[in-house]
Amino acid sequence: MNDVMIEVDGVGRTFDDVTALDEVSLSVPRGSVLGLLGHNGAGKTTLVNVLTTMLPPTTGSARVAGFDVVAQAHEVRARIGLTGQFASVDENLSGTDNLILIARLLGASRREARARSAELLDLFDLTEAADRPARTYSGGMRRRLDLAASLVGRPDVIFLDEPTTGLDPASRIGLWEIVEDLVCTGTTVLLTTQYLDEADRLADSITVLADGRVVAAGTASELKARVGRRAVHVTLTSADDVPVALGSLERAGLEPVHDEPAAAVEADRAPARRARPSVVSTPVQASTDLAVVVRALDDVGVEVAELALTEPSLDDVYLALAKNKTAA
Amino acid sequence: MTTLTSTAPRWQGTSVSAQIGILTGRSLRALLGDPKLVVFSVLQPLIMLLLFSQVFSGIAGTAGFPSGVSYIDYLLPAILVTSGVGAALQSGIGLVTDMKNGVLGRLRSLPINPSSVLVARSLSDLIRTALQLVILLVAAVALFGFSPAGGLLGVAPAFLLALAVSWSLSWVFLAVGAWLRNAETMQTVGFLAMFPLMFASSAFVPVEGLPTWLRVIATVNPMTYAVDASRDLALAMPVGGAVSGALAASAGLLLVGFVAAVRGFRRPLAAG
Ligand SMILES: Nc1ncnc2c1ncn2[C@@H]1O[C@H](COP(=O)(O)OP(=O)(O)OP(=O)(O)O)[C@@H](O)[C@H]1O
Ligand SMILES: [Mg+2]
Repeated sequence: MNDVMIEVDGVGRTFDDVTALDEVSLSVPRGSVLGLLGHNGAGKTTLVNVLTTMLPPTTGSARVAGFDVVAQAHEVRARIGLTGQFASVDENLSGTDNLILIARLLGASRREARARSAELLDLFDLTEAADRPARTYSGGMRRRLDLAASLVGRPDVIFLDEPTTGLDPASRIGLWEIVEDLVCTGTTVLLTTQYLDEADRLADSITVLADGRVVAAGTASELKARVGRRAVHVTLTSADDVPVALGSLERAGLEPVHDEPAAAVEADRAPARRARPSVVSTPVQASTDLAVVVRALDDVGVEVAELALTEPSLDDVYLALAKNKTAA
Repeated sequence: MTTLTSTAPRWQGTSVSAQIGILTGRSLRALLGDPKLVVFSVLQPLIMLLLFSQVFSGIAGTAGFPSGVSYIDYLLPAILVTSGVGAALQSGIGLVTDMKNGVLGRLRSLPINPSSVLVARSLSDLIRTALQLVILLVAAVALFGFSPAGGLLGVAPAFLLALAVSWSLSWVFLAVGAWLRNAETMQTVGFLAMFPLMFASSAFVPVEGLPTWLRVIATVNPMTYAVDASRDLALAMPVGGAVSGALAASAGLLLVGFVAAVRGFRRPLAAG
């Protein structure tokens, strides 16, 4: 079951003189989630449009669920679900009728369509508003109806373009759980997002686009390792031990700092952090460095109250890539 | 999670005719959900009827005016045609609005034939127009004493002819909408085209009563032929070439409009 459900091969797309996508290649195995990150205008929506047959690529080719997005667009459409960046529900129809319409167009009988619609409205907490016209829905409710609409046909591959933009925290987490359930049943998901925690939680692999090009790709931890700003924070029982601890850690080949727990990871983003006089921090590369830290402190007999390893967040990755981009 | 698992077999899709049926039903349901829309769309022709029947009533009996015909009987067959033309323009504008608000985006991502969407819109607009014209006719009989010489047997074909003209023009406007994709431009161009077409025609006064330069325009204006055809039928006048001419022109426009609309609509929405 490990076949490739989304395969993008050198896809480019231009609009007049704007290059929205430039030689983009990626592949997504069945039952996994690809997170597509990138600044505004990076080309995320354009890529989603190409993969959902909404827009032909100018160069290159792409296959979804094994079918070519240009030559076999109809087959592709029969197997995908799409929630675009902007809600696309029929304002004049009720939530129920919106979903029934889609199910009927996909070939469901009246009864099946009604059942599927009720199921999905329930899943997205819209049962109470089911019979009201969608124009009376709040922004977040519309969004959820739109998401439900993309699931009607039990698609093999789902494209979600910034699915949680405008959702409240509870609905966001609700959507994450739904995506996780879908993936458990073998559905493949490509989602674009501006929220790094979302990509971190859901995505098995991440592709970062900048100006239409892939600038980084890998799992969340691979990308974080590339930024390499893991740090160990040691809280000593007594602040008097700090100089000894610093000395020993330096001799062990590390670069410890005192009282600046933020220094290693988010130097310029925690100006108001309270001083913690008994904390010593040091950036580390691999998790084996943790043992080095412990051994160095033990050698000089310093008593440790607390030891914490912090991983860099995707924010760090993202900012590092953005910095590279401006530098280049 | 039973809701999400794919235990149920994939639905096998639908035929084009089923797609058209489902989509037409959707539009009609929206219409029934908001009958205000039909009533309001009849208001404009009713107001025209009221104003014109007062302002122009004096011209009954002037040059070229058929003798023994009241102005309202003369006017209404024309209003049927102009209302139908207005409805056709609205059909095109409706398509563009749907393109912008994302509904069509959703439909386009489904495994259906894009032309089904167009045909369904055209059919549901046709039904809406028919409803409008019926309301207009009933109001004209009840409020303005419309009672043409042709009776029901004359008015019914006039009504059908107005519908045919409206339907064929709606395809022209759907084609314009599918290519232009801009509601404001369509509205403006539509109105700029509509008014000269309406007034430089036989709709409100006989062509013979127009100043020379307008008369020249009116004699080549297709609206004149459509109006004359509708009037000939409703007033039980000898049906001349106007009826067959109007029907032939409609058929031609329908064909051209349909092909152009389908082609324009196939262009990707996302390409802007
Ligand atoms: N229809 C279009 N016509 C012209 N240019 C377009 C069109 N669609 C997209 N572009 C351009 O292509 C580039 C990529 O746009 P795209 O919408 O894919 O970005 P995005 O990554 O989705 O951005 P965002 O995060 O803001 O949604 C932008 O420079 C945009 O201006
Ligand atoms: Mg976007």
